[in-house]
Amino acid sequence: MSHILAVRDVTKTFGDVRAVDGISFSVRQGTITGLLGRNGAGKTTTLRMITGIFMPDSGSIEWLGSANGTSFRDQIGYLPEERGLYKQMKVVEQLLFLAEIKGKRPASVRPAIDRWLERFELTDKRDAKVEELSKGNQQKVQLIGTLLHDPELIILDEPQSGLDPVNMVLVRNLLRDLRAEGRTILLSTHMMGEAERMADEIVLIHRGRVVLEGDIDQVRASFGKNTVHVEYEGDGTFLRDLPQVRRAAVVNNAAELSLDDGADPQKILEVCMGRLRIRKFELAAPSLEEIFIEKVGTETLPEAVR
Amino acid sequence: MRKLFAVFKREYFSAVRKKMFIIMTFLLPVLMVGLMILPSFIMVKGMGEKTVVVLDGTGRLQSAFTRPNEPTKEEKGAAKKPTSRRRSRLPTTMKVEYVSRDGDRNLDQTAKPYLDRLTGQEKGKGLDGVLLIPSDAIAADDSKLKYYGRSSTDFITQERLASITNGAVQRIRLAGKGIDSEEVERLMNRMDIEAVQISKTGEEKKGGAANFFIVFIFAAMLVLPSFIYGLEIMRGIIQEKTDRVVEILVSSMTPPQLLIGKILGVAAVGMTQISVWILMAVVGGLFATLWLSMANVSVMQYLSIATFGYFVIFFVLAYLTYVCIYAIGGAVCNSEKEAQQLIAPFTMIMMMPWFLMAPIITNPDSKLAVIFSLAPVFGPLTMFVRTIVSDPPVWHIALSVLASIATIAAFWWITAKIFRIGILSYGKRPTIPELWRWMKVA
Repeated sequence: MSHILAVRDVTKTFGDVRAVDGISFSVRQGTITGLLGRNGAGKTTTLRMITGIFMPDSGSIEWLGSANGTSFRDQIGYLPEERGLYKQMKVVEQLLFLAEIKGKRPASVRPAIDRWLERFELTDKRDAKVEELSKGNQQKVQLIGTLLHDPELIILDEPQSGLDPVNMVLVRNLLRDLRAEGRTILLSTHMMGEAERMADEIVLIHRGRVVLEGDIDQVRASFGKNTVHVEYEGDGTFLRDLPQVRRAAVVNNAAELSLDDGADPQKILEVCMGRLRIRKFELAAPSLEEIFIEKVGTETLPEAVR
Repeated sequence: MRKLFAVFKREYFSAVRKKMFIIMTFLLPVLMVGLMILPSFIMVKGMGEKTVVVLDGTGRLQSAFTRPNEPTKEEKGAAKKPTSRRRSRLPTTMKVEYVSRDGDRNLDQTAKPYLDRLTGQEKGKGLDGVLLIPSDAIAADDSKLKYYGRSSTDFITQERLASITNGAVQRIRLAGKGIDSEEVERLMNRMDIEAVQISKTGEEKKGGAANFFIVFIFAAMLVLPSFIYGLEIMRGIIQEKTDRVVEILVSSMTPPQLLIGKILGVAAVGMTQISVWILMAVVGGLFATLWLSMANVSVMQYLSIATFGYFVIFFVLAYLTYVCIYAIGGAVCNSEKEAQQLIAPFTMIMMMPWFLMAPIITNPDSKLAVIFSLAPVFGPLTMFVRTIVSDPPVWHIALSVLASIATIAAFWWITAKIFRIGILSYGKRPTIPELWRWMKVA
């Protein structure tokens, strides 16, 4: 499959902060690519350079193999992390406006608006002002605005933030449908679990640099099956102190254990059986969360420029 | 182009549909008319009701403080000559209670009860002032009039009283030198002044206070919308920043497209409003003309078709100049309060010709007025005023327009650069050196 977008050695500095420090990655057509990283890693800045809000200090953004021109930006649907709509405008007018600034004729998107409003159960809110809508509904309107002009590439910055569980599922299903239609999606998130569920490919960013990139299954496979998921009854806090366990995430009645290289899971199971009532014991590839910690460590970053 | 038009359309319709717009459009003219009529009404009213007591220590000045149709004893005696030429200088707006206190050396004492009336609240008996004319007023060289007033700032009344008294005293002094009263009248004769403006085409316009006010109103109509709508643009940009719409806008179009769309959209709003006002003015004007022509004032003597032409030209120039400042203000600030603080000193500078309106109107060809009319920023308003009240050379007008166009081009260039970066800065307001860097970077 060909690349729709390629980011080549892009940098961006704000004052003394180097927000993006030579990032390169590409997005394959028809996939969902997850841009992962902590807050402040440089995700939003990278997306803003792709959407043309910032110019990179150096490096280039290529669209379908060409680094020239900016007209491709009409082919992008962008949902910024800071959601924003004109609060005083009616839903329909707002959507028409958003399509128009992407170069669409108002008349040509009217049927699409009706379809989308129907799909998101907002048909009765058609003529309501944006400020009268609930937050969830505002998010839906914004999402429609992102998709209305039939973009080739859909860029979503933290699409799940601020959504309730119902809407989260709705967005997840929507993204899958879009991919099935052959759209390409680039989404940024700091929620690894979410990326794990949705992304085909991941680009892991830390401190303005790419630390890991590739197909999600391959990435996980490359880390080997050195992770154990246990579910049990009893007090599992001792699991942290077991030999051969490098790291343990222990929650109520469940734990994810990262084993040292060459450790024998069988030994762990024996210890566990002696002290806990085991309900589930599973050998698995590490979760993204684990991989992430593996790659960048556990230190927390201050909230720097995003 | 479609994008620019989309912004234009959005700006226009969202503004025009606001209740505030509708209220402003229809209420402001009413307020304006009110503001125009009220002061003159108050002035006439306020002066008409001035009641002053004159305590005359000489006892000989009664004629000066009474009207010709209430002849005094002295004049009855010498009533041979008609008093027609000698118009009373006592304005019709002043009511004088004349008290003859011939030879009273202790006028201050005598004045006491009157001064009590001055401070008293009693209706109908209230006084606005008491004038003391000392008994040695005619003979002595260093005699002084004394005026007690309710307000020491009512200099018009003081001035008039002093002038009347002095006139009367001088007459008596001259008569004392053996000059007969007819001669005195000729010596003392005063001329009235009539202001006439002559243009190159030779047409004559009668000047005066009415003209002054009409020019003021035109000047206000020229600049106020620019300030109001400039503020509106600033508010709009800040609103977009706080609503976080800006990111979507800038990812869809270039900042200049956004800026131009906005500025033209708001300009169209202004034009709509002014069109409504002009329509109202035309309708109102028809009535006013009828009314004024009865009062023997022709409105058209102040205005010409050229004035309207100049109005449109200088209005557009003024608007495009001022609006840049506000756009920058909106782009670099994060709250309206912050922006208004930043903008205030610039507004003051832009308002300079407005503050100097009175000297410019009264002296449209002075050095000050000429320099202002050719200067950037101040040019449009000052030049426009000069075209109404004077007849500036064509090259002045052309130079002023060119200067404005150059200013606008420079301002827009700067604005576009600062706008591009400022519009996305959510942090603290940039300092001047930072702004300078933005301009170079963008």
